[in-house]
Amino acid sequence: MERETTDKNILNRFCLKFISVLSKHVEYIAVSGFVAISSGRTRGTEDIDIIIRRINLDDFKKLHKDLIKAGFVCIQSHDEEEIFEYLNNNTSIRYCLKDFPIPEIELKFEKDKLDDYQFKTKEKLPLTGLDIWFSSVNMNIAFKEELLKSSTDIEDAKYLRLVYKEKINEKEIDKIKKLIKELRL
Amino acid sequence: MRATHIDQIERWAEFVRQNPNKWKKIHADFINSMLENQKRVYNELVKTEDGRKKIIMIYNIRNIDGFPSLKK
Repeated sequence: MERETTDKNILNRFCLKFISVLSKHVEYIAVSGFVAISSGRTRGTEDIDIIIRRINLDDFKKLHKDLIKAGFVCIQSHDEEEIFEYLNNNTSIRYCLKDFPIPEIELKFEKDKLDDYQFKTKEKLPLTGLDIWFSSVNMNIAFKEELLKSSTDIEDAKYLRLVYKEKINEKEIDKIKKLIKELRL
Repeated sequence: MRATHIDQIERWAEFVRQNPNKWKKIHADFINSMLENQKRVYNELVKTEDGRKKIIMIYNIRNIDGFPSLKK
């Protein structure tokens, strides 16, 4: 599957631009609302959540430098060490294109064995038309139904269950929900 | 979830499944119109000092150097 940059909505183009830089530096997965929205769910959003593997400060500085070169800015700070501290403290860092805060990428480090499992079960979703890595459909449904639980999340889960009917694995969803209870609740 | 909203989600999911060549244009127009409207509002707010302050607060912008139009 080739990465396409034409015939995409603004959110998808923004995400592809960011990931074209990010993927050269670190393993990533797009998670949560963007999985549903890029799969066709019709709702608004201002951010795209992405989880990355842990990297050290030197490697982060290289990533940050390339993001700046590509036209992105970090909303919280211009200081690489300060931004890295946010990441290390499991706080999301937010990037947008220079001089315009919407949409934004919320980037965070993996934090536990549940996130590690998200990386191990990551998948590409041809329906989206995007050649990027997503956390699995089953994973997103479990998170939205067991942990996040807002009305938007429940609707996202409902939509994912319908549009990816063939991918739904209830045993896998239950297994992830148990992990969520063990590690996040 | 309201019943009508569930119905709408179900109908749209089915449309996406059945119309692989049609849904993306409709969906892209929807997503683009929301983001374009946000940009229009942003461009209006940025014209005034009070508006610029609101943007900084709304988006919790601490790296002001990344937003030259907010530094006027």
